Amino acid sequence: MRRQDAGWWLLILPAFLLMTAFYVAPIAQVLAISFTEPSPGLGNYERLFTSESVQRVILTTLRICVITTSLALLLGYILAYKIALASEAARQWWILAVLVPLWISVLVRAFAWVTLLRRQGLVNNALMEAGVISEPLQLVWNEFGIIVGMVHYMVPYAVLPLLASMREIDPRLLAAARGLGASRLTIFGRVFLPLSMPGLIAAGVLVFIFSLGFYITPAILGGGKTLMVAEWIGLQILDLIRWGLGTMMATVLVVAILATLAIFSRVVDLRRVFGSGA
Amino acid sequence: MSGTGHALALQGLTKCYGSFTAVADVSLRVERGEFLTLLGPSGSGKTTILMCIAGFVAPTAGAILLDGKDITPLPPERRDFGMVFQGYALFPHMTVAENVAFPLRVRKLSAADREAKVRAALDLVQLQGFAERLPRQLSGGQQQRVALARALVFDPALLLLDEPLSALDKKLRAELQEELKALHRRIGRTFVNVTHDQEEALSLSDRVAILNHGKLIQEGAPAHLYEQPRTRFVADFLGKSNFLQGEVRESVPGGFVIGAGATRIVQAVAENHRPAHGSRVLLSLRPEKITLMSEQDEADNIVEGRIAAWSYLGAGFGLNVETPDFGLLRVALPTWRAPIAPREGLAVRLGWSAAASVPVMEDAA
Amino acid sequence: MDHAHRPGPWISAAAWAVAIYLLVPITIVIPVSLTDQRFLSLPQEALSLRHYATVLGSPEWLNSIWQSFLIAVASTAIAVVAGTLCAIGCWRLSRKSTELIRALMLLPIIIPSIVYAIGLYRYFANLDLLDRFLGVALAHGVTGIPYVVITVSTALAAFDPRLEQAARGMGASLSQTLRWVILPRIAPGIVSGAIFAFIHSWDELVIVLFIASRDVFTLPRRIWDGINENLDPAMAAVAVLLVVFTLLLLLLDLALRKRRDA
Repeated sequence: MRRQDAGWWLLILPAFLLMTAFYVAPIAQVLAISFTEPSPGLGNYERLFTSESVQRVILTTLRICVITTSLALLLGYILAYKIALASEAARQWWILAVLVPLWISVLVRAFAWVTLLRRQGLVNNALMEAGVISEPLQLVWNEFGIIVGMVHYMVPYAVLPLLASMREIDPRLLAAARGLGASRLTIFGRVFLPLSMPGLIAAGVLVFIFSLGFYITPAILGGGKTLMVAEWIGLQILDLIRWGLGTMMATVLVVAILATLAIFSRVVDLRRVFGSGA
Repeated sequence: MSGTGHALALQGLTKCYGSFTAVADVSLRVERGEFLTLLGPSGSGKTTILMCIAGFVAPTAGAILLDGKDITPLPPERRDFGMVFQGYALFPHMTVAENVAFPLRVRKLSAADREAKVRAALDLVQLQGFAERLPRQLSGGQQQRVALARALVFDPALLLLDEPLSALDKKLRAELQEELKALHRRIGRTFVNVTHDQEEALSLSDRVAILNHGKLIQEGAPAHLYEQPRTRFVADFLGKSNFLQGEVRESVPGGFVIGAGATRIVQAVAENHRPAHGSRVLLSLRPEKITLMSEQDEADNIVEGRIAAWSYLGAGFGLNVETPDFGLLRVALPTWRAPIAPREGLAVRLGWSAAASVPVMEDAA
Repeated sequence: MDHAHRPGPWISAAAWAVAIYLLVPITIVIPVSLTDQRFLSLPQEALSLRHYATVLGSPEWLNSIWQSFLIAVASTAIAVVAGTLCAIGCWRLSRKSTELIRALMLLPIIIPSIVYAIGLYRYFANLDLLDRFLGVALAHGVTGIPYVVITVSTALAAFDPRLEQAARGMGASLSQTLRWVILPRIAPGIVSGAIFAFIHSWDELVIVLFIASRDVFTLPRRIWDGINENLDPAMAAVAVLLVVFTLLLLLLDLALRKRRDA
């Protein structure tokens, strides 16, 4: 390290200290509890294999995350495809349609879904008045409601990395393929889709890890009946005061997320994923 | 803004990046008021040397001395060197005057002093009346002058120039070359310039140092380097050259004779530089030193051949002549003195004197 | 670009459907907030501003808005100062170790808030920072750093490093180079980062649920209680106010970007 660089290191210091003292330290401390409470050892982790309720929460979470990720990717891909091939002027508006929901409070969005989907909500009312149904449908406070809300939250996160990789595709390639006589479908399947694959993987990773630890939307739209890990952790700690179990699940969550990132960091440039988030 | 310049010395300067050696043991002196150019192809280490002098790169070994004082450990902001960066590095958010005043502001000069010095510096580069423009409102040549004014305004001990003219088109470059040379004469400061353009180096500099693969190959006045290249690389990089390879056959008064195939070539040489009998030597022969001979003309060396290709270059003809023992030889003929109308396949006699060519060494790989 | 490759009609229709799915829930709260009824519904006979009056006349709601605002300002200041300096340092040094530091700064985006929240719940208890303004501001500030690091790093990627060298070469110290050369050039990136850090704090709920209870009661916390306890149209009014506020900040950001690119 050169002496002349000392000043630049000094610039990094405040953020490094803040992050260590007020972010890494609290998390490291609380995760350590999973090995010490209620008694030292791996007792809490045994529950992963023995406790049916622990396993159910994990399975529910994985199922919802996989469904959410698939749907968000599908919808996000359609939207990103449209945006990537739109004219310069139209593109601005489409991007705005993605960015606005991204930055609107997650609480507001969950509240809006409740307004729409609950028993006396706008959707049920409209369907009843139109005579399509006679009994209100159960659209919220179950897995369906959670998925509707989560996909809604995740689509913008899927669009951004997808769009970034689609924008790198040289439009002349598509023109060339058409000039060579390829149909629209062939162009998509043989040229566009393979070239956008890095973006698809990046978007998938991003949406999946965000979904895993999601708290607010499942808590509001699940109505306490369908539990995902984040809400389950909160429940263990705030209501049941079972720190060992709660922190065990938090550790599993963090490890799962970091492992997913580590595996896919070989496939996609993660800096690009997060670099495009803003 | 004139004064005596300062002398700079590099002693055994070496810079390694991991296992890659960018600069290998370069020692060089720059005299007071001298205009020295570091010349070399990209990757030759010339820019690294300049960055070491400026203080942006710390050498792995060796020392940099200013008037005999070791300045190697000083950070760039304490060296007091003016620098013109490649692409100029003008601050885009500041006006021309603010750019030029920057070094003065840093040195906490009073507003009045700053204004006077900025005006003097802009006068020096003939940019009066541009003070309030932003850099992007100026042409490339004007930006280059702002960069010069900014580098000179604080009376630096040394002016460093990193490819100062490379961003300009050919005509403007020639114009600014002359200006830069005149400026150097007027202010009498020490200039160190880096370029890959051999013409620029020859026309601007008092002395040129030629670098390749991080090593200093040869230094000297431009004419000396051009006329007496020490190695094949120097002969090839500075202008164009033909290379004749042969074996020393005999000694003659004031020179020696080499043979290649059936051809004998006489080469003049100083007494103490005679190569051993039977050794292989390489001669460098400039295309413009070859003349076309008629049947009756005599010369020290005569080689016959046929024109393989030719091109018209305005001021001259460029011929590629196929010869039996030396392959293609390049010949440059002034148009107005060309004795023939070039045509492919035409048989020609090439002639040159024994002192026209010069023995050079092969470069170590 | 007349012959540019464009998506077919089915894909276009599907894209419109997705856009509607994204935007409708956000816009539906507007008519609901203007309902003349006392329960969540579309306006029946007339538009009414009574629910806005309820919210803006309630000391609890106003107090929460004020608290959220102060916390967001304080935490944005923390995030902007620390994040900007860190991004500049990492950019200038640019080596393996600074890449790691930059990755560390992104952790708050990657690790779920719930994990951080339970960690702070315990950590702040020891430091006596639970239910305190300083505690929430610190937590939001630290988690806001990634947004600033990302936007400032993006701005720095377009910054010519020779300008920094030029400044140093002309004798400028590090702080002079920062103030006169680097910061003025990346100011738009810093402002973007500040806006995102502000929105992050303004909307943040999970951490607040764990480390604040009575004295600090932010706007998202009050909305949360509202959704869980009494779903009335006043909530829709709050939602609209929030949407409008976020939109204004986003538009501000867009306008600043336009000016920078111009």
